[in-house]
Amino acid sequence: MTESTALPSRRKVLTAVTGAFVVAAALLVGAILPAEYGIDPVGTGRLLGLLALGQSQPFATEEGEYRVDRAELSLYPAEWVEYFYRLDEGSNMVFTWDATGPVTYNFHASPDGAPAGYAESFDAQDLAEGHGTYTAPFTGIHGWYWENIGTEEITITLTTAGFYTTAEEGRARAAGYKPLTDIRGNRIPVDP
Amino acid sequence: MVLVGFAVLAQSGTALGHPMDGSNAGFVQSVDGPAPGPFLYLGAKHMVTGYDHLLFLVGVVFFLYRLKDVVLYVSLFTLGHSLTLLVGVLGNVGVNAYVIDAIIGLSVVYKGFENVNGFERVFNTKPNTRIAVLVFGLFHGLGLATKLQEFTVSDNGLVANILSFNVGVEIGQILALVGVVALLSYWRTRPSFLSYSFATNTALMAGGFLLAGMQVVGYVLFS
Repeated sequence: MTESTALPSRRKVLTAVTGAFVVAAALLVGAILPAEYGIDPVGTGRLLGLLALGQSQPFATEEGEYRVDRAELSLYPAEWVEYFYRLDEGSNMVFTWDATGPVTYNFHASPDGAPAGYAESFDAQDLAEGHGTYTAPFTGIHGWYWENIGTEEITITLTTAGFYTTAEEGRARAAGYKPLTDIRGNRIPVDP
Repeated sequence: MVLVGFAVLAQSGTALGHPMDGSNAGFVQSVDGPAPGPFLYLGAKHMVTGYDHLLFLVGVVFFLYRLKDVVLYVSLFTLGHSLTLLVGVLGNVGVNAYVIDAIIGLSVVYKGFENVNGFERVFNTKPNTRIAVLVFGLFHGLGLATKLQEFTVSDNGLVANILSFNVGVEIGQILALVGVVALLSYWRTRPSFLSYSFATNTALMAGGFLLAGMQVVGYVLFS
């Protein structure tokens, strides 16, 4: 096979490039712009129902009762406390807390039906405050463990708002309690 | 503390191209220290699921009949993108992601055009294909660097993590190439290969134009 017979003509190449460009432009304008960017220059987005794909949903309603809770939790040195909520999967909670002295904390959750003592840990740090949002990844009990790691008595002030059904303080362990483990199987320290 | 935040961040999403999806992005943000395994995986995933890189590779190996040539060209491409990935992230070189992704789209057009002998036919010239694949490798690496920089990657263990990401990219590239080369090798034994190779490379050009067009519009809208 010689080079010259294998080579397409100049005209064929130019037609191919033009064709490729036109097809790309048509797909871009007709389908991708409406679906991805919400721009509908030729009306195909509305026609094919593609516009809805490009729209983010900034507004969402939630079922269930809206609650706001505020708690003040006093801790002697080396003392611990838990504060936990019952949230359904996908429910949201906004939180803000701060402590008057150094604490270590662990935010964790136990899904309904999980073996006793099983918990997944989502945040564990030595910080004296925390602010943010939490969306429950599963239905169950979700909340904080705090431990006073300083030498003075401290107070933790916690305010939460959201669509949880219970909010409880916990300082004691039931008989037969097994230690919590985090997502990697490490024991979450509870007893000072 | 490395893996904390893994599961809960799985819900946020990002827009276009093929950025790391929400859970991966959340992971990258929460990493503090070397994490070779996850970054290796992310690099490989980025390559295997990155249709712009894949289309370019299809164009590169389309007419490479000998394994020796495949290895040579892919090595040039790898050299190019490894260089800019490392220099880009370490030197904190900020390039607009839309611009770089548009260039990557145009690299696909270029390769398709080269494969239909466009340069000989339209411009009466034949650019050096090895230099071209190296240069486009540099741009692809800048694209990879930009993707990593979109997330706040911790300085702690950064070099180890970029190297892991880069090795992952190569693993992903080899995985993808094995499939592409195997399919092409089989197709070449059939008469349809020559009849449709022109059409296939035209489709490649269309795909490249489409990718570039998406990024240009993204640039106009969001940059």
